[in-house]
Amino acid sequence: MTKPITRRDFMRDSSYAVLGAAIGLSLGEEKKSRVVLIRHKDVLDANSNINEKILQKMLDEAVMTLLDQDDPVKAFQTLVKPGEIVGIKTNFWSYLPTPKELENAIKRRVMDAGVKEENIGIDDHGVKENPIFQKSTSLINVRPLRTHYLAGISGCMKNYIMFAESQPEYHPNSCANLGKLFYLPIVKGKTRLNVLCTLTPQFHGRGPHHFSRRYVWNYKGLLVGQDPVAVDAVALRLIMAKRAEQLGKAKELPPIPKHIEIADKVHKLGTSDLAKIELIKLGWKEDILI
Amino acid sequence: MMKQIKILIFFFLILSCNGGRVDSLFKSIPKQILEWKAVEKDVFYNRKTLYDYMDGGAEMYLAYNFQRVFTRRYQGPEDNEITLDVYDMGSSPEAFGIFSCDREDPDVGIGQGSGYGTGLLRFWKDRYFVSIIAIGDDKIAEPAILELGKAVASAIDSTGPEPPILNWLPETGLIKNRTSFFHSDISLNNRFFIASENILQLSDKTNGVLAEFLAYGKKKSYLLLIEYEDAARAKLAYETFVNSYMPEAGDTGSVQTENGKWTVVKTDQNILTIVLEAPKVDWAQTLQTEVMSKINER
Repeated sequence: MTKPITRRDFMRDSSYAVLGAAIGLSLGEEKKSRVVLIRHKDVLDANSNINEKILQKMLDEAVMTLLDQDDPVKAFQTLVKPGEIVGIKTNFWSYLPTPKELENAIKRRVMDAGVKEENIGIDDHGVKENPIFQKSTSLINVRPLRTHYLAGISGCMKNYIMFAESQPEYHPNSCANLGKLFYLPIVKGKTRLNVLCTLTPQFHGRGPHHFSRRYVWNYKGLLVGQDPVAVDAVALRLIMAKRAEQLGKAKELPPIPKHIEIADKVHKLGTSDLAKIELIKLGWKEDILI
Repeated sequence: MMKQIKILIFFFLILSCNGGRVDSLFKSIPKQILEWKAVEKDVFYNRKTLYDYMDGGAEMYLAYNFQRVFTRRYQGPEDNEITLDVYDMGSSPEAFGIFSCDREDPDVGIGQGSGYGTGLLRFWKDRYFVSIIAIGDDKIAEPAILELGKAVASAIDSTGPEPPILNWLPETGLIKNRTSFFHSDISLNNRFFIASENILQLSDKTNGVLAEFLAYGKKKSYLLLIEYEDAARAKLAYETFVNSYMPEAGDTGSVQTENGKWTVVKTDQNILTIVLEAPKVDWAQTLQTEVMSKINER
């Protein structure tokens, strides 16, 4: 048995130290994984309807910053080339799906980069059988951020479980091996961009489907990166900050999100160490939490 | 004649094994509640197919004796929807168990125990656990959710007992409607986080309760009472808990934690008791003694 994190760790240490134990913080001086957090106060109206123009602008700015480009089309051209077949792996979960506006914003820029519309697929549950995904040369991974009974958070890595032959195979030990999904033949080496939608993230779950609207809040952000582990590590920090604020310190950590550290240390998929992640924050700063 | 009876018994057994109870129950649940009407076909899932319905939550149900779920969607004003799930948990203690691991909402008097808040109604009755949730505007959906809940509760024409282990809880100081019954660490951690690993050696063979008490009438403390399959398993759980959670306790079985409160652990035959967040060691030990007295009264 590895050294467990216990309830006492939350009494003893700062949350950051506990998270460090969970995802392996260190102070190394290596090349950092870049993650961009962008927020805009007006991307949602009073009824949480999305302003599509502002959302497109947010995506563009985030991807340009991520890739050090000064134009959104140029930025997407560094990700995908004309002639490619691009699968946009979205999330259809009925309670909190990927917003259509965000799928459209990504698709628009993939087309602007020169990819034909008929060579672009957007799918979730059907990705294994979808010819576009079967023949894809590039993938873009997009989904909303939320907590999860087993994995702690449903982030970029969890979104690829639909590529698995057997989903339950990935459930043991708090979904510890979600990072392995990125090595499946249909996926391996294809993911160009991860977009974690934090417009309305969910910080706690209730009921059979782990959903209750009271735990969804208007954060009005996007987390964007090429390293899915780094994006998820930052996302976990955001969820923890919101849980500490709303639920109290004892409930700060959702069910232990082991898969983030394991994706880094065991599967070598990316960086879980916050000290090795360059987090660039753009836009609206109020209640940013991280 | 004998052959016909055998055939009838055979079909009865088949229905029982394959969720026949929930299959017949759903027929008596109205397809319209207020202005909300059932849409699409009713769908059933069993232990093998539950993953097709839930994203991650399936393990919570499989940790109990889940048999089958019937699910139906209703559509109402402004395209708002509510989803009804009726879970056959195999027995009333198991239905109580899955219900009891979430104690965040106030009782609304439906079934044998219930909770409602912000578009989510949960209740249990006999061997069934029922969930009704709003997709969309929960305020618009609330009257229909509560009406539908009452209709489902009426359709279940029997009641069932709570888990017997609850009878071992001392009554003095016990906070009502806060007790949870569980078998596995996933259920316990979801209700009250203990550790990231299974340091209490929980399994489908263990019966456990988490109960809340008011010490000296005002200070909230927690009692974990776990019944293992044998004394060896209880002893192992004692050791792994002490080593991971309170290594400085040594043989004393008690430690003052960083928040100034006490954790006290004790094992007796196949029973493990842990009192957490106790204001004083003496109070915790008295509680443990009362539990053992109740058990020994069996």
